[in-house]
Amino acid sequence: MRKNIKYSLLGVLTLGLALTMLSCGKVNPNKLSSEFLHREGNPFVSFRILLDIGSANDPAGKEGLCQLTLNLLANGGSKSLTFKEIQKKFYPMAASVGLRVDKEMSVFSGTVHVDNLEKYYAIFKGMLLEPGFREEDFKRIKTNQLNFLERSLVSNRDEQFGKEILNLMMYEGHPYGHYQSGTVETLKALTLGEIKAFYKEQFVQGNITIGLAGGYPSDFPAKVMQDFSSLPEGHTPQLSLPEQRMPSGLEIVIAEKKTPATAMSMGFPVSISKADDDYFALWIAIAHFGEHRQHLSLLFQKIREERGQNYGDYAYADHFIQGSKKFPAQNYCRQQQYFSIWIRPLANSNRHFVLRQALRELKKLVEEGIPEERFEFARTYLLNYTKLYAQTLSEILGWKMDSKYYGYKDFLAEAQRRLPKITHEDVNRAIKKYLNFENLYIALITDDAESLKNDIIANAPSPITYANPNMPARILEEDKIIQVFPLDFKPEKVRLAPATDFFQKAGLPKSS
Amino acid sequence: MVKFRPAFLSLFVLIVVPVMLHSSAIFPFDYKVEELENGLKVVSIPQPDTPEVISYYTIVRSGSRNEIEPGKSGFAHFFEHMMFKGTKNVSIEEYTNFIIQLGAGTNGYTTDDYTCYYVVFAGRKNLEEVVRLQADKFINLYYDEEMLKTEASVIEGEYYASFSSPSRRIYELLRDTAFEKHSYKHTTLGYLRDIMDMPNQFEYSKLYRTRFYAPDNAILLVVGDFDHDQLMEMVQKHYGGWKKSNYKLVTPEEPPQKKAERAHYDFPTRTLPRLAIGFHGPAYSEEKIDKAALDLLAEIAFSRSSSIYQRLVIEEQKCLSLYAGFSDRRDPYLLTFNAVVKQEKDLPYVENEILKELEKFKKEPISEEVLSDVKSNLKYSFARDLDTTDHIAGSLAFYINLATDPGTVNKLFDLYEKVTPEDIQKMTKKYFNKTNSTVATLTGGKAK
Repeated sequence: MRKNIKYSLLGVLTLGLALTMLSCGKVNPNKLSSEFLHREGNPFVSFRILLDIGSANDPAGKEGLCQLTLNLLANGGSKSLTFKEIQKKFYPMAASVGLRVDKEMSVFSGTVHVDNLEKYYAIFKGMLLEPGFREEDFKRIKTNQLNFLERSLVSNRDEQFGKEILNLMMYEGHPYGHYQSGTVETLKALTLGEIKAFYKEQFVQGNITIGLAGGYPSDFPAKVMQDFSSLPEGHTPQLSLPEQRMPSGLEIVIAEKKTPATAMSMGFPVSISKADDDYFALWIAIAHFGEHRQHLSLLFQKIREERGQNYGDYAYADHFIQGSKKFPAQNYCRQQQYFSIWIRPLANSNRHFVLRQALRELKKLVEEGIPEERFEFARTYLLNYTKLYAQTLSEILGWKMDSKYYGYKDFLAEAQRRLPKITHEDVNRAIKKYLNFENLYIALITDDAESLKNDIIANAPSPITYANPNMPARILEEDKIIQVFPLDFKPEKVRLAPATDFFQKAGLPKSS
Repeated sequence: MVKFRPAFLSLFVLIVVPVMLHSSAIFPFDYKVEELENGLKVVSIPQPDTPEVISYYTIVRSGSRNEIEPGKSGFAHFFEHMMFKGTKNVSIEEYTNFIIQLGAGTNGYTTDDYTCYYVVFAGRKNLEEVVRLQADKFINLYYDEEMLKTEASVIEGEYYASFSSPSRRIYELLRDTAFEKHSYKHTTLGYLRDIMDMPNQFEYSKLYRTRFYAPDNAILLVVGDFDHDQLMEMVQKHYGGWKKSNYKLVTPEEPPQKKAERAHYDFPTRTLPRLAIGFHGPAYSEEKIDKAALDLLAEIAFSRSSSIYQRLVIEEQKCLSLYAGFSDRRDPYLLTFNAVVKQEKDLPYVENEILKELEKFKKEPISEEVLSDVKSNLKYSFARDLDTTDHIAGSLAFYINLATDPGTVNKLFDLYEKVTPEDIQKMTKKYFNKTNSTVATLTGGKAK
C-alpha cells in the first residue's frame, strides 16, 4: 500500500536540519513533502514538483479540469510575467517547464544549469505559486487541448488512441474512466473561474512533494521549501476508488476509420501493484511474455520475429509510459492497476489472425506458466536491465518519488533484493492468480469494422499469407491451429463506433 | 560460447559529471581517435568516474543517402533490421540470450546519412565479449532469403505504425517535391512501393552489404568505464580481419532548383492543417560559415522566443506549433519551416508571414543581444545532453558520422562564436529565394 509519508520543513532554517527530518517520518499531512538528492559538483539541477492529484480528481462533468489547470501553470504566464516574457527569459538558459498529468499524480519538471539556477527558479516559482491566469493563455491552451482531442488523438495517433479506448472500457463510471484532457463536451464548458477555483482547492502544501537533484547550493532546498510554504496548508484525501470492473467474457470495441492498418490494445484490471510482494513474481512473468520493446518478449518473438506481422508486440503488468530510450517513465503511480497487451499496427488482412494469436499465447501462459529456463532468463534480464532505469538526475529523482509512493525506500534496490528470491513456482502461481484469458477488454482501430465483427462472432477461419513462400513448417503447422482458434465473442459484447465519435462525451460512444 | 559475467553495479552511479560551461570547449572530455589498417576508425572516450557503465556504438555510413538506385528507397533501414539476424558462429538466439542476460539497452536506428547500433551495459568485465560479438555480427552476418522475406514484412508493419501520422506524410511530400535527383528525395523509411518490393531484394541486399558494411565505412564509438589501450587490443583482435570495401559512394548531384515548387496532400481523416516550406541549403561544415550562420538564424527567427512564434502561436493563436528545422547532413539538404495551423483558411496567411519574416531578416541585421542569447541557448542545450555515457555517445554519434573526430563539435561551436549579424543577413539573402523554395501543404477530413 501507498505510504503517505510527508514531512514538514516549516521553520527549518538549515538544510542539515531539513535532511535530518527527511529520515524522521511524516510530521503533518497538510504540509509539504520533499525529496532531495544533492550531487556535489554536478553542474545541473533537476526539479520535480510532484502533485498527488490527477485527472481522477476532476469533478463529474468537469473532465479535463485538472490537466487544463496545470497546463495553464506550465504554459501560461505568472502574475509578473506574460508567457511571452517567460519564454524570452528561459531561452538563453535552454530551459523550460515540463508537465505530465496522469490519473492520480501530476508532475512539473525542469532541468537547468547551475549558472542559471537562481534566474530560472525565480520564474518557475512565479509560474506555480503566482500564476497569471490570463484569459488569452486560457483560450490558447484550451483550444490546443480541444484540437488534440478532436483532430489528433482519434486521427493521427492510432496506437495511443487504442490504449485510450482500452482505458475507457476498463473504467466506465470510474474516476479513471476519462482521458486526462477530458471530453470535447466538458472541455468546451470549462471556464477560467473553474480553473482558478480548482487551483485554489488543490494547490495546497499537503498535495505537493518538492523534488530536487543535482549540484544546487546547500541552502537551496530550504529556500524552495520556504517559498512553497506560502501555499495554504491542507491536502486532498487519497481517492477512495470503486472496485475495478472485470470484463465479462471478451468485450470488444472497434473504432472504425479509413486506415490500411489495425491497432490493438487489450487487457483487464488487476488487484496488484508495485507495492505488493507478488508484483516481483508477476513482473518476471510479464517480462517473459511481453517485455517492452525487447527481443525477450514472447509476443514479439511469435508475432514479429517469426511471422513479420508488425513492428512489435508487448505486455505490461501495470500502467506503462515509455520514458527516455525504452525505459519506463516515472511519476505515473496509481492505486489501481491493469494488465495490458499492445499489438502495434498490422495489415487489416491479418487482424483476425493476430488477435487469435495474441489471445492463444495468453491462454498458454495462463494454463502452462513459463518454462523453467525462461524464468531464469527473464529474472536475470530484469536484475541487469533495471540497473539502467535511472540514469539521469531527473530519472533518479523520479524513481525515488515513486518508491515512496509504493512504500519502499528504493524500489530499484528492492528489486535487486527481491528478484533473486523469487522461485519458478512463485511466478507460475502469480500468473494463475492475476491473469486470465477468458475475460478481456479489447480495443481495435480498423477499417471495415462490420466485416471484422461478423468474422469474429462467426469464428470464421482467418488464414494468413506471407511474403515468404518458404515459411518454416513448424510455423505453418502452428498457423493452422491459430487460424481456427476459437474465440467466444458474443454479438452483444461487440461494439462498433466511428473513430470521430470518441471523446466527444464521457464514456464510450453509442455502438452503431 | 558466449560468456556473460555478472556486473555488481551499484545503483545511481551512472551519472557523468557533465560540462562546466566555464571550460573553453563545449565538448570537454578527453578522447582518442585511432584507425585500424582495414580503415575501421575507433573513437574512445574513457570515463573512469562512471563506474561499470559502457556505451558501445557502431556507426555505419549507410542511410537514405546511400540509396542511389531507383526502387531501393528504404534499403539502409531495411538492412539495419537484417543486422539482427545472427551469424554462422553465433546464432541470433545465442546473441540475444547474451544481450538479455547482460541486461543491456540495445537497438539500432537509421538516419539519412548513417545507421547506428548501440549496446549500453554494465560491467567492464563484459567489454571484451561485447566487442567480440559486435565484431562477429558485422563481419560474419548470415541470413537466407526466407529470413529476408519475413523481415520485409516487419518493415511494412513499421510503415503502418506511423501511417496515421500527418507529420510523416507532409515530410515525405516535401522531400519528394523539393529534390529531383539526390537520394534525400525519399525518407529513411522509403516509399511504400519499394517497401512492398523488399521481399524480392535478396541479391541486392548482398551487394548493399558489400558496399557499405565494411570497416572503411564504419566507426566505433565507445564511452564509459574502460581502458583505452585494452579496448584497442580487443578491437584489433576481433575486428582486424574485417575486409575493406573500397567502394566510393557517389550521390547524384542535385541540380539547382529552377522554379518554386508546390504540392498538396489530402489526408484521409480529420487533422490539423500543416505547412512545410523548404529551401535548398548547404551541407554540414565545421569550417564554412554558411551553415553555422543559418543554424543561428533558425533559432533567432523561429524559436519559441522569436517574434513570429510569439505572434502566430501565442498572440494570434493561428498555429499550434511553428519551428524551423535546419538539419545537418553530409550533402546539401533542406532548410525547412514547419507549422501546424489551427484552421485551413489560415494556411496562406501563415505561409506569407513566414516568407515575410525571412524578407525582414534580409533587410535588417539582428541585434548582438539576440545573437548572444541564441549562442547561449545552443551551448546550454548541448551541455545538458552530456550527463550519461549514453547521452554523450548519442549526441556524438551524429557529429562523428559527419566528421569522424569529436573535435568537430568544438569547431562548430567556435564557428558559432564567430558568426556576426552581417553573416546571418548575407546567408538569408543567399539561400531564401523564391525559386529555391518548395511549399507543401496537408489538409484532412474529407474521407470518413
